[in-house]
Amino acid sequence: MIKIKALNNNNRMSTQELLQTIYDRIEEGETEFEIEACGQHDIGGAIWSKVDKPLSFRIKNPGQRVGAMGMDGVKIVVEGSAPADIGWLNSGAQIVVKGDAGDTAAHCAAGGKIYVSGRVGTRSGALMKHDPKFEPPQFWVLKNTGSFSFEFMGGGIAVICGYGCDESESVLGNRSCVGMVGGTVYVRGNVSGLASCVQQVKLDKFDKDFLKSGMVEFLKEIEKPELEGELLEFSNWTKIIPLPKEQKEQKLPVAEFKKTEWFEGGLFGDLVEDNGEVFKLAQTGEARLRKPVWNPEKCIGCDLCFNNCPNRAITKEDLKYVCADNKCIGCGICAAVCPRNAWDMINA
Amino acid sequence: MAAVKINELHKNDLPWIIEYDESKCIQCGKCVAACSFNAIKPEVETRKSNSITSKNKPEKVLVIKQNISLENYCHGCGMCANVCPNGAIRAIRNKDDKYSVAYRANKADSFKKGGRSNLNTEGRTLDKIKIGRISQMTDPSLDATRHTFELKTPFGRVLSPEKLNLESREGKLFETKTLPPNRWIYPVIFGDMSIGAVSWRMWEAMAIATAYLNEVMGIPIRMCTGEGGIPTRLLKSRYVKYMILQIASGHFGWNRIIKSMPEMTEDPAGILIKIGQGAKPGDGGLLLASKVARYVQEIRGVPKADLLSPPTHQGLYSIEESVQKMFLSMNAAFKFKVPVAIKVAASATSVSVYNNLLRDPYNIVGGFFIDGLAAGTGAAHEISLNHTGHPITSKLRDCYLAAVHQGRQGEIPLFAGGGLGQTGSFAADAFKLICLGANGVFTGRMLMEIAGCVGSDTGKCNACNTGLCPAGIATQDSCLAKRLDVDKVAQNLVNYILATDIELKKLMAPVGCSTLPIGRSDALITVDKHISNRLDIQYSC
Repeated sequence: MIKIKALNNNNRMSTQELLQTIYDRIEEGETEFEIEACGQHDIGGAIWSKVDKPLSFRIKNPGQRVGAMGMDGVKIVVEGSAPADIGWLNSGAQIVVKGDAGDTAAHCAAGGKIYVSGRVGTRSGALMKHDPKFEPPQFWVLKNTGSFSFEFMGGGIAVICGYGCDESESVLGNRSCVGMVGGTVYVRGNVSGLASCVQQVKLDKFDKDFLKSGMVEFLKEIEKPELEGELLEFSNWTKIIPLPKEQKEQKLPVAEFKKTEWFEGGLFGDLVEDNGEVFKLAQTGEARLRKPVWNPEKCIGCDLCFNNCPNRAITKEDLKYVCADNKCIGCGICAAVCPRNAWDMINA
Repeated sequence: MAAVKINELHKNDLPWIIEYDESKCIQCGKCVAACSFNAIKPEVETRKSNSITSKNKPEKVLVIKQNISLENYCHGCGMCANVCPNGAIRAIRNKDDKYSVAYRANKADSFKKGGRSNLNTEGRTLDKIKIGRISQMTDPSLDATRHTFELKTPFGRVLSPEKLNLESREGKLFETKTLPPNRWIYPVIFGDMSIGAVSWRMWEAMAIATAYLNEVMGIPIRMCTGEGGIPTRLLKSRYVKYMILQIASGHFGWNRIIKSMPEMTEDPAGILIKIGQGAKPGDGGLLLASKVARYVQEIRGVPKADLLSPPTHQGLYSIEESVQKMFLSMNAAFKFKVPVAIKVAASATSVSVYNNLLRDPYNIVGGFFIDGLAAGTGAAHEISLNHTGHPITSKLRDCYLAAVHQGRQGEIPLFAGGGLGQTGSFAADAFKLICLGANGVFTGRMLMEIAGCVGSDTGKCNACNTGLCPAGIATQDSCLAKRLDVDKVAQNLVNYILATDIELKKLMAPVGCSTLPIGRSDALITVDKHISNRLDIQYSC
């Protein structure tokens, strides 16, 4: 075990100096670190043991991105609170924060376990992912999150226990889960302002079994085993998962709305004769803009109208021509071909 | 009939020439049947036979010809081409058109048309403005499709904090006097097209789309009724809360509104006092007799005649008086619970009007709508449509900056309209106007186009005034109006607004705004120095 003090007589090690000291010790086969930091970034990230023993870190007063790009076989414990970005891109490390964690905790985490004994800041859990070749990332928070939590989440498991947050309007903050397409957020307590692309549903047996076993380990790591009974009272728990794609796109057709919600017979039903039929551009019957009228005095019975009507709407009965309204589209060819103007086209 | 004297009207004088290919025509007659303008007709042509025999009789051939007439002439709507199974007929624009000269020379009357001006199609100010301030590392950028945005704007009088009449007692706020009504609405308003100007089917489609967007999609869009009244059914329904009732100089339709008041279960969304419109400022509404159908007569309380709304409200002689009388009466009509706004045509004097309204000692002026010259209209004298008016962009900006200089921006919300979407990007136009100071925009043109209007800015159709609208939109003719598919139009209107909603977010996101960037002119740049100077936005090159 090696102890590093990052602040000595007003001389503060830079992040680079501290990290390089750690790298050197790891090369030498060291695996246990106790670090009294002074705001140095990225402690515990992107490193792996050179011997057959996991790496462990006990850190006080770290800077941002504790355990960023944390790897399998690394265990980090922060005594007290940690600022933004703990477990950023976590790929396998176990990170325990004994106090609160800052903004964007577990941002883009795709592996490992992150345990926070207090609350986490805004945009925490954003873009978490799950690579199916590996175990999904887990992100456990004893209290609550800031707003915009789990934005664009693509996979993994988050558990927000809402401890001591009974009065809170939303233990996930406002506008949680915007753009969430995958993963599960288990939550205990009130939730409001949730994005429309997700659904909040009841737990099933699998969920309860997962929470039971996971909760024991979580509470052990944050040293609060006495809360187990209270937190495993399942009546207050729900889970948030993305809506299936079909459900997102499901929109009530306007015609359906009109049928069920709108005025019977239409808005103008008491004012205008209208059965709702949609007329074609050239149609028979009352849809005609113009119609032919036969004038017997002028007719010489030459049959040109009869023969030229494109719709065979004109019939000859007892030397009289009759136009069938249900066949005539009002084109006026009968009037055009008549040598005696015996057909008049009038406005219908 | 072909012209035989030089001073007779000739085919080449008309705005459109029918191109007809006899070899493709099957003489089905559909083109003629479909033509609402009666601009084409079947005709028997006599031709010399080409066969050389001792008895070569002339040949008679049935063809489609164009009517050469001042009344029944081709407007270029294209229905003949749409309906022809073989592509045998179409209308071609005549570059040497002399129609408007011939009309005036023969009729001794001013030429009237509908639609919009055909002179103002190039060099639009809004197209020379880009959204140039993109937040990348300066402030958080947003994700347009996934983040939550609030596209809402206040409609109604907004009081400055010191005038709020609020009192704090034991840590809680109390109203000491009633606050002026104010509603949070979507920044796009369906523009005021009257029952009469548009067909009952078109009007119903707009009303359904409005109700659907509110109740199913949660988009608080509002529709302005126009000055042709409103069906009693709608007044007594819950949907009236999405309707802004218009009162214009003709005061048409108000009898039924007043009579319905005791039975109304909801307040309307607002009242819009229409003083003028951008397409023909200084003119009142004009509904030609051909469109005054029986039900329009009933709702409006008039006989079948040309309906001319006076150019101004007859009881108002000054801005101050209009505030005292018109705003007061319309506020009183709904017990001071409904915002009352006013709509004027953009004009060199708009800022004076706005400045006057800003003083509003009674807190009853709930909005100022400015309508620019590229707006559309159902009917107007061409001379007004083409030669009167004022562009919307600088006028909106002037009004907004006038308020800014007094520290009173936002107190009387500004709404801008007139030609939005003219070059294809309605959402971009709306966004730019909002950045220049508009609280929101209103549009009638887009609704027409979405519904299937075939008219263009370059003279195609524009026959809304004739009552012969081939698309069934601007007509009261039963045969034509029933061409319009209410369900389809309502769905398309809804879809267009949903698309606009996405596009507005696509512009809000890069600017880094999750709420409307009203007056955020720093988001805009222009490559035109004059526009930069005039609108006080950044010049870039």
